[in-house]
Amino acid sequence: MTPPPDIHTLTGVYAVDALPDDEREQFEAHLQVCEACRQEVDELRATAALLAEPVAETPPASLRERVLAGADQQRQVPPRTTVTDLASRRRTPVWATALAGSAAAALLIAVIGLSFAVTSLTDRLDELEVAAGEQREQAALISDVLASPDAQVVSLTGEDGSVVNLVLSHETGRAVFVADGMEPAPHEHTYEMWVIHDDRAVPVGVFDPGPDGRVTHTVTGDLDRAVAIGVTIEPEGGSPEPTTDPVMLLEL
Amino acid sequence: MAANRRLRSVGSPAGEAVVPVDELLADVARGDDGAFADVFDALADVVYGVVRRLVRDPALSEEVTQEVFLEVWRTAPRFDAERGSARTWVLTMAHRRAIDRVRSEQSSRDRNDRVGRRDDDRPFDSVSETAEQHDEHRRVAEALDTLTGVQREAVELAYYHGYTYREVAELLGTPLGTIKTRMRDGLIRLRDAMGVTR
Repeated sequence: MTPPPDIHTLTGVYAVDALPDDEREQFEAHLQVCEACRQEVDELRATAALLAEPVAETPPASLRERVLAGADQQRQVPPRTTVTDLASRRRTPVWATALAGSAAAALLIAVIGLSFAVTSLTDRLDELEVAAGEQREQAALISDVLASPDAQVVSLTGEDGSVVNLVLSHETGRAVFVADGMEPAPHEHTYEMWVIHDDRAVPVGVFDPGPDGRVTHTVTGDLDRAVAIGVTIEPEGGSPEPTTDPVMLLEL
Repeated sequence: MAANRRLRSVGSPAGEAVVPVDELLADVARGDDGAFADVFDALADVVYGVVRRLVRDPALSEEVTQEVFLEVWRTAPRFDAERGSARTWVLTMAHRRAIDRVRSEQSSRDRNDRVGRRDDDRPFDSVSETAEQHDEHRRVAEALDTLTGVQREAVELAYYHGYTYREVAELLGTPLGTIKTRMRDGLIRLRDAMGVTR
């Protein structure tokens, strides 16, 4: 789940499309959360594109007509709504509607006691602690966040009994999202998490539930003025901005 | 924004006074099919060239080129000028689509015959042979000359031949990490030589 530590060195390989499909997906997920890599990829892609210049070759004349005729019959996609739009939609409350009407999510807000949440998180902690490497890091992060004086837990319980917990600390700017029994994302799609502010939604990574529907997803960043954590379903690799209504919304 | 102008100026053939593709694409995004025809005219040669280089088969290359331009038309409203020039956007799309096509052809070939040999009929020829024809080509060729031999080989095997970095490593009998580094360092050197900066 956690990318290899040297993933940043894949920018060049990615820019010339030389990553095998599975690694490409993983790297694109990484790009969603790594601004430095994104910048380098943009530059290296512009560079790689120059390599096309020397091999230019005039296509058969008939192609032009076919392409223009094809465009004539194809609808264009609408522009992506800006994050500002998303925030204003939220106020006229799309997020709330999505939740209330949500057959898709089948989630029910349940503000449950901290103690229960901590119990289930502690169970997860025990599991993670016996596991190796990357998981142990997650366990350490959960412990850290739980230990913060301002630790807060937000929970959702699905009608199907699935439980979602978010433990977060504003002070340390960290949060851990822990879920059980989540359905896999639809084919060629992934879950993406967002920190929702009044005027924007910041992408904080994509995730896919494990075989048993388990998810442990860590978030670091500015949570201070965040009003909610949202989860949407996005095309594989994630999106820079939400393109669908949320399947989950944890209001802070 | 300055970066985009910069990228555009190095990405367009030298000396031609044409409406920049970025501006055309903004019109395409608003459904202007005349502007789309202009985008096609500006980029058809270079898109077809790179697709043909990878796909080889002329009929299939035309098909992929058509797909690329229809995707340009369809998704122009989502083009993000912050990420780079329109020319880069289209060429990135073209390269990726061609690679995807090569890979899916490859895997169906692998399924159909267990031999699954690579296309060894694709010669590993050098860009500089055709580069003199054009100023821009010469600039690219000169920039490529600043790469070390092994960097250039790695970049060209990936970009022009569509090999994955794992395949390049296998082909050259070189560790994966080394190939990764060569591709990145090679592109960075090329970037600096071509003045592609942010």
